Amino acid sequence: MHDGEKKEMKWIYEIIVGKIPPFSLLSYQYSILLQLLFLLVLGIILGLVFHLKTISLAYGSLGILVAVLWSMLILQQGPTLRKFRAPLSKDENELLERYKGILFHKNHYEAIPGVAIFVPFMLYLFYDGSGLLKNWLGENPNILLLFFVGLLIWDICYRMGLGIWTSILALWRSLELKKLAEKRTELEHTPYTELRALRKLDINNVFFGLISLLLLPLLKSDPPFVVMVFAFMTFITFTSFVSAYLISKVPWLPPDIYNLVKESSFAYVGTSLKGVTHITPVVYVFDGQRIFFNTSKEAKKLKVMRKNNKVAFLIDKRDMSNIYENKAVLFTGNVKIYGVLDIPLRLIQMLRTLRLFITKYPEYTRKYSTSELPKAWQLTPIIARILVEVKPARIIYWRGAKQISVPV
Amino acid sequence: MKIPDEMLNILYGNYFGYVCTSDRFDMPHLTPVFFVYDGQSQKIFFITNEKSKKVKNILENPNVSITIDIRDPVNPFNNEGVMAQGTASITEKGPIYFLPEETLQLYRDIYLEFKGKYQAVIENKPMGENDVIVQINIEKMVYWKGPHFKSVKIDKEGKVTMVKSK
Repeated sequence: MHDGEKKEMKWIYEIIVGKIPPFSLLSYQYSILLQLLFLLVLGIILGLVFHLKTISLAYGSLGILVAVLWSMLILQQGPTLRKFRAPLSKDENELLERYKGILFHKNHYEAIPGVAIFVPFMLYLFYDGSGLLKNWLGENPNILLLFFVGLLIWDICYRMGLGIWTSILALWRSLELKKLAEKRTELEHTPYTELRALRKLDINNVFFGLISLLLLPLLKSDPPFVVMVFAFMTFITFTSFVSAYLISKVPWLPPDIYNLVKESSFAYVGTSLKGVTHITPVVYVFDGQRIFFNTSKEAKKLKVMRKNNKVAFLIDKRDMSNIYENKAVLFTGNVKIYGVLDIPLRLIQMLRTLRLFITKYPEYTRKYSTSELPKAWQLTPIIARILVEVKPARIIYWRGAKQISVPV
Repeated sequence: MKIPDEMLNILYGNYFGYVCTSDRFDMPHLTPVFFVYDGQSQKIFFITNEKSKKVKNILENPNVSITIDIRDPVNPFNNEGVMAQGTASITEKGPIYFLPEETLQLYRDIYLEFKGKYQAVIENKPMGENDVIVQINIEKMVYWKGPHFKSVKIDKEGKVTMVKSK
């Protein structure tokens, strides 16, 4: 952003829709619903005027449905990325700016794949004597109907193109981001919520790919197209899935905090119920992505957390000989308390966490296991010890005496 | 009865305390602090910036707790500590010549104690312009060592009663 010029970050479609009332006056979900209704009503009117068969109306509606579902998924890219907060790493920020720059290029390259699908398809449809048109509209369809169908095909092809465009770029962005994340220093990182937002866009695209299967009934009379739809579906779901996976492997904590959390042995958990606060030291583990701590089933904090799951979770390095070396990180947010119901659903996660505890605190595990201890202290997994996961919404980091707020 | 020695040993013998406050939405907040325990008044004091989140929280909800502990990464039976729960009051802020004598005296006393205790690290640094003294009026205090617990209550007159011990 230079000379106060703000990048618009919109695709052609969004620009057009954004200029035509009443669509321009509505939030985008409603605008999409209204477009669906508008097309549907128009299609039905045309169908009635030209005495189309019910099956033709069904085909048309299916086409509209696909276009609208796709719009709902893909049009989240603009608003999500417009809100995207800059990563606290120069390289990662440059990468994401470059990504956004290409994705929403002012020359609207995003329309190219759509045109590349639309033009050959239309040529095939009208000049190659394909049976598809007859299939959809019957013999000798009116020019108005053809125009409407052409419009609908363009709508679908344009979005197909967007699907290809966004998923290729997403895969590239995720690969690069993962690579850059390995070279971070100190407090460099991309905030957690932004990583999650990218991941959500990728997961949207996985669904985008799957939805293309709805086109099969429209094309079933033409086997090569059936194959192409499958190829399209596989390509989009696969690239988007890989991209989402790569994003989930990008550490969401900057290296300084990551190392502090990884290396410390103790944490303090602060809870609050009806204004009365409570603090206890706990042992915890960190698997690189998630933080877990253990509590006894009898513990006061567990009873409190069941009523109010907001917590403050502090990890610090304290050293009186050099206080400027002291570090602390505070996570505030919610906790998830694992219960019996989680055993079948999250067994692997729970066993992995238990193993982390055993490796991190071998002595603790041994001592907790002796039966001479009060029942609440014995490390009988799940029965007497409850696993709790910290889900941070905010992170505050202190280094020396300075406080640094780290966006989550 | 008096506050048990185990508790006093922890309160006098450690440098770091962890203060938990919460706002009116019951969202807890936790920070490490330097603190002093004053045996005479049986209160805990710490100095903080008046713009800090904990001060903001205390103004919304005066209930606080503070934990002071010794932690042993190898043997959990050596883990020892106290948690005190009570209410916090913050000294008035204002130009120094408008403050009542008792507040000034408190500033002097607490500051001297801080200087004594944290001499090695605060190096004669005067109290900052935006610093306030927070006083914790202890109502309840729990002591633990390994799996053993002891807890006491302190009433408004400073009378200590044992609640339980195991």
